[in-house]
Amino acid sequence: MTSVAAIDRFATSTKRAFVAAIVIALCLFALQLVTIEGMQSWLDVSRQSAARVPTFLVRISLIICAVAAAFVFVTSLSFYKRNKVAVAPWLFLAVGLVLFMIYVIVPIFQSISYSFTRWDGLYDINGVWTGEWVGLHNYKLLFQDPNFYTSLKNNLLWLLLFMLAVPLGLFIALFLNQTVTGIRMYKSLFFFPFVISQVVVGLIFTWAYNPEFGLLSEIWSWFFCETKTNIVGNLTRVCSPEPPSILGDEDTATFGIIAAGLWPQIAYCMILYLTGLNNISSDQIEAGRLDGAKGWKMLRHVILPQLKPATFIAIVVTVIGALRSFDMIATMTQGGPYGSSNVLAYYMYDQAVGEGVGRYGYGSAIATVLFLIMLVYISYFLWRMYQDEVEAR
Amino acid sequence: MFPRPIEKSSFFVRSLYKLSLPIALFVWLLPLLAIFLTSIRPASDIATGNVFGVPSSFQLIQNYGEVFAKTDALRYLFNTLLIAVPTMLISVALACLTGYALAVYKFRWALPLFFLFVAGNFVPFQILMLPVVDMSNRLDIINTVPGLVMFHAAFQTGFCTLFMRNFIKALPFELIESARLEGVDEFKIFWHLVLPLVKPAIAALCVLIFTFIWNDFFWATVMLRDDSTLPITVGVRTLNGEFVQQWHLVSAASLLAAVPPVIMFFIMQKHFIAGLTLGATKG
Repeated sequence: MTSVAAIDRFATSTKRAFVAAIVIALCLFALQLVTIEGMQSWLDVSRQSAARVPTFLVRISLIICAVAAAFVFVTSLSFYKRNKVAVAPWLFLAVGLVLFMIYVIVPIFQSISYSFTRWDGLYDINGVWTGEWVGLHNYKLLFQDPNFYTSLKNNLLWLLLFMLAVPLGLFIALFLNQTVTGIRMYKSLFFFPFVISQVVVGLIFTWAYNPEFGLLSEIWSWFFCETKTNIVGNLTRVCSPEPPSILGDEDTATFGIIAAGLWPQIAYCMILYLTGLNNISSDQIEAGRLDGAKGWKMLRHVILPQLKPATFIAIVVTVIGALRSFDMIATMTQGGPYGSSNVLAYYMYDQAVGEGVGRYGYGSAIATVLFLIMLVYISYFLWRMYQDEVEAR
Repeated sequence: MFPRPIEKSSFFVRSLYKLSLPIALFVWLLPLLAIFLTSIRPASDIATGNVFGVPSSFQLIQNYGEVFAKTDALRYLFNTLLIAVPTMLISVALACLTGYALAVYKFRWALPLFFLFVAGNFVPFQILMLPVVDMSNRLDIINTVPGLVMFHAAFQTGFCTLFMRNFIKALPFELIESARLEGVDEFKIFWHLVLPLVKPAIAALCVLIFTFIWNDFFWATVMLRDDSTLPITVGVRTLNGEFVQQWHLVSAASLLAAVPPVIMFFIMQKHFIAGLTLGATKG
């Protein structure tokens, strides 16, 4: 009886494997047939670009079919049944890992290799790469480029000043960590700036900084301006000194953008600390109180040590936020005036695709430098995570 | 609780605290309030210098209606949805699988691969930009919404895997162990046992990824050129260039771009914060 069932199961799984193999073959064969030109004439659209999305969707469905069939195929092999626990994780990982490799890991190395070439991103008509290998030339140029140093200096400014978000976030969190009525609403409203897109934050602050009718000029006018009637009889505002044009001034543009960037970042740090404060053991606070600790002493010796995980995450996200600053610069100044508010992220974009420059090799060299800076923090972060993993074991 | 609960303080301190809350909030959200006021006033107010006073007339509907009528705001919003929703679905689905694999199976590659996902998640976008653009070009999906979705989904899988793996790791492993001893197939364990348990994590990730992608600007500028494919973040930036001196319209459009993530945040607040503060309490 059991042997019959076993044979039967063997038979069905062979059948399954066979069907799956046919499906895979059919999908791969069909994939060869799907072309943009074919899709264009089949859909009867005049522009080739209109056929690109349908072609892609058909192709991706075929690939999904093939992958699904491949899973059925593998799971019906007796090899899988004997080594389930060893094979299963790779089946679970396969799709996610392959996609992540293609789109994230491999491009890092491609970018680094581009940085040793001179290339404008084009291929000739036969699809042959048109660039040339130039060794360290791009890096030599880079280290003589004053704009590169301005960007690097601004990146350091961002890193340093962005760190203010951590203590300020802690301050607001301490302020809000109470249980009066409506406090939940206050907490979420204080968190608001983080939810808004950086582009919108950038626009809001561009407007707030506007020296003619912005928020800042309004506040300025309370202190330095008076309204007079001019000869014609209209009311005019006379200010001395004139309100500053923060984004229009080489010396202040970067600080203006950083201040705008701090707004959402403080909100993020605040929410991290609020969660941390929520989880502090009350026993230790009581013990500290019995020992006579309060105020600053309590914060320093009892609370902050317990907030260490929150502080760590706050620092990590703030560093990453500082080095990724792009959206704000793109919306507020585009690196100007005269490149004074550039950072590496924006300068790279500007060199590679902005303003039609098309310096892929040079841009990649800038990106590589930025990546190396980030790598210091990534390594530290991974090392910390590794310590935790070892401890948890 | 720290600081000392305010209820234990004197009546005077308590009232002072309660009074300071709305003032602090007002100052904190002042830029946002000011821009909201601007978005509902008539253009003439700004021209005559009445930028911060009471609007001479309230034009909430006119101004926002004008944004929809005069611009492609509606299509921009729709495009953003078209990018954000598939990205969210794909990356969260893939991360359930990868996170499960990395949390449950003790194989030699589990930790290195996990660290690969984590590290990739933190790299600067600029180092990925040119190869991704080049690849999308050769796959003929540059300048299309699915092309951008593919990248976003792949990239966000890194963050989602980090989240999912840690979440599943915290589940009681004995459950899975005993199911295995019963002879339940690995995929059935995943589907019937683990997936129902990670529902909160799925919810948190969905909200977060949706918001991240909604607010993305860099990748949309790099990967999309056609006006018909642009999402709202890029659209608003373009409008800012077109509507010079029409601040009431620019501010209305900006606020429109901010509304969906804000609504998402308020509806799913618990999950949103749980997602963002992952790891802030332990470890």
